[in-house]
Amino acid sequence: MAGSAQGQRRGILGAISEVFQYWPFLLSGVVLTVQVSLIAMICGMAIGMVVALIRIAHVPIANGVASLYVDFFRATPVLAQLIWIYYALPIITGRSLTAFVAGSIGLSLYAGSFLSEIFRAGILSVERGQSEAALALGMSRSQAMRRVILPQAVTRMLPPIGSSLITLVKDSALLSIISVPELMRQSETLASLTFRRMEVLTVAAFLYFALTYPLSRGVDYLHCRFAPES
Amino acid sequence: MGYEWRFDVLEGNLEFLLGGLGLTIGLSVLSMIGSLILGLLLGIARLSPWRGMQFVTTIYSDFLRGTPLLVQLLWIYYSLPILTGVVFSPIASAAIALTFNLSAFVSEIFRAGIQSIGRGQREAALALGMTGWQTMTRVILPQAVRRVIPPLGSVWVSLFKDTALVSVIAVPELMYRGKVLSIETYRPVEIYTVVALIYFFVTFPQARAVDWLFERARVRS
Repeated sequence: MAGSAQGQRRGILGAISEVFQYWPFLLSGVVLTVQVSLIAMICGMAIGMVVALIRIAHVPIANGVASLYVDFFRATPVLAQLIWIYYALPIITGRSLTAFVAGSIGLSLYAGSFLSEIFRAGILSVERGQSEAALALGMSRSQAMRRVILPQAVTRMLPPIGSSLITLVKDSALLSIISVPELMRQSETLASLTFRRMEVLTVAAFLYFALTYPLSRGVDYLHCRFAPES
Repeated sequence: MGYEWRFDVLEGNLEFLLGGLGLTIGLSVLSMIGSLILGLLLGIARLSPWRGMQFVTTIYSDFLRGTPLLVQLLWIYYSLPILTGVVFSPIASAAIALTFNLSAFVSEIFRAGIQSIGRGQREAALALGMTGWQTMTRVILPQAVRRVIPPLGSVWVSLFKDTALVSVIAVPELMYRGKVLSIETYRPVEIYTVVALIYFFVTFPQARAVDWLFERARVRS
């Protein structure tokens, strides 16, 4: 009995070490995962900030468009968005998109929608007294926003922004479905190559965890530092 | 220039898509119930005084929340048959994966909800002679339930959208049927647009309702 259990253990360890042989292949996937997540985060923050400010200022037509954008991207699955952008958009515009670009656009728009909500909530959580005082001191609205409101809002927004990055890293796995060679896709390819799907997926899971765990610890720290529960 | 939209491709096919919506809803309900039960037990377990129990549930929760649902789904679909010798249908694998993934989030919600009930409640109950279990079921949980409803609503909406993922293991829910149709009819634009719109019109009211729940909880406190 012990002999067969040992044989099994060697089998599993042997399988996992076989997977580790292909380390560089998986690593290239990790690099792309990180790239795509960061691109989506940065573009998402830019989009999110613009959209949040439009919605707060209630700019006449833009407000409606912005609200529709946020509501739409939060009420549809990311996968549906990615598939639409990759398969339908090129047909409509007549321009082809590489999978990486389509995926980046999709994730950025998705990120922008919930980041705009985070920004909006953060800005609105700064007491009115602050903006009233700033305006009373003669600042213009944009000066008040830049010098008084935003700096205070930023610290409150840091924890949810950190959580968003974690969500983006996890959702980047969906890009495998439109053939972007990020970690998930590389794992699928490797699994077909080695016929060791279970081991490859296990390694992939741990790699994702290695990316998200430090981030979630970071978010916990941000929570303690900037948004402690009273 | 400009694309000619022809929605006539939907005649006779809309029913097929909406059948997928039915499966989406069914799968969501099933997974939600499963994860509520599992999540509640785990949430309570996380607060137990036994270090071992705390450690295990923390690892479970962190790992399932820190890895993509897609990885978990594929892992369960391909590995469970190897490990248990039982072959699960795609739908069963999907329900299992969704339940476990969600239970990690739900357990955190219950844990936070339980912890938000002041210590005084628990101490008073114990002082009155209740056992730990009675304290939990008669005093703490009824108060915690109110607080956890908004975040659980949020989890429900996410679940609804996450079911789209199970299309990759060929569960014939809405997203999968959209893929099949777009291949059959060669009109991915109209089909995928309609799929997105169906998701939107079904999910948006629920998302608004959850926003209202959060607003109501905020106003009350």
